[in-house]
Amino acid sequence: MKDIARQSMSIKVESMDMLNGQIKMEAHASAIYLAMASWCEQNGFFTSAKFFFKQAEEEREHMMKIFNFLIDTGGSPISPEISNINHDYSSIVDVFESTLEHEVKVTTSIHNIVKKARELGDITTERFLDWFVMEQVEEENTIRDILDMIEVTGTEGVGLQMIDNQVANWIE
Amino acid sequence: MELICQSKYYTFYQAEKERRFYIDFGQKTIPLNLCQLIALRHKVLSISIEDHFDSDLNKHGFEVLLLCNKEHLFVLNTLEILDLKELVQHSFCVMGIAATRQTASV
Repeated sequence: MKDIARQSMSIKVESMDMLNGQIKMEAHASAIYLAMASWCEQNGFFTSAKFFFKQAEEEREHMMKIFNFLIDTGGSPISPEISNINHDYSSIVDVFESTLEHEVKVTTSIHNIVKKARELGDITTERFLDWFVMEQVEEENTIRDILDMIEVTGTEGVGLQMIDNQVANWIE
Repeated sequence: MELICQSKYYTFYQAEKERRFYIDFGQKTIPLNLCQLIALRHKVLSISIEDHFDSDLNKHGFEVLLLCNKEHLFVLNTLEILDLKELVQHSFCVMGIAATRQTASV
């Protein structure tokens, strides 16, 4: 029997399903960062807003990277439905703490796909995700550094204004 | 055509020369390329069979399946859906593009 299906598709369907889940997660992250940018604009944190607009774009780029990988490997990428985006935050500290929480979830999800791909012997998917693993280290580190800066600066007096100004250091 | 897998209601074939697949649904046999087959898999595995046992969520216990870019329409009952889920999962394993038979929906 000829492997027509295998000849047309280079990854396992289980990996395809998980990568489609990751596409949804990246799209969700992009939408969350856009909501955060909106919150920052409305509350006078204009530099932080710029930071989150950029983050939203980056998450969309990550989504497209996975989308195109699925096309290249003969899989079927699914355009994600996004709902339940939170627009309410109690403070700028809450915004960055929520960001770190979300980045940790994304990291865990990517690690789970790598583990599953390894279990399936799907080397193509495993190698593809190498870039994402390292990217998540960078993403988490950026937010941790901003939270450290917030702690050192403090939120009293002109602290909030200083925090917003210093976020510029993390906009490339 | 080469037989890949057979279940109670359906038969799945592969046609090497045409590089296509065929599913005999009983009423009719439909040809599918791999993309259409993956789309079918997604639709079938996304069906919540639990809803069939809740009259608020699925009043009549039927599913309408539109396949191959709306070229074919099937109305299937609970047992036929269960059988189709089984056929799809087993066929993907036989063809070597799925490692395991999944129980979770996609």
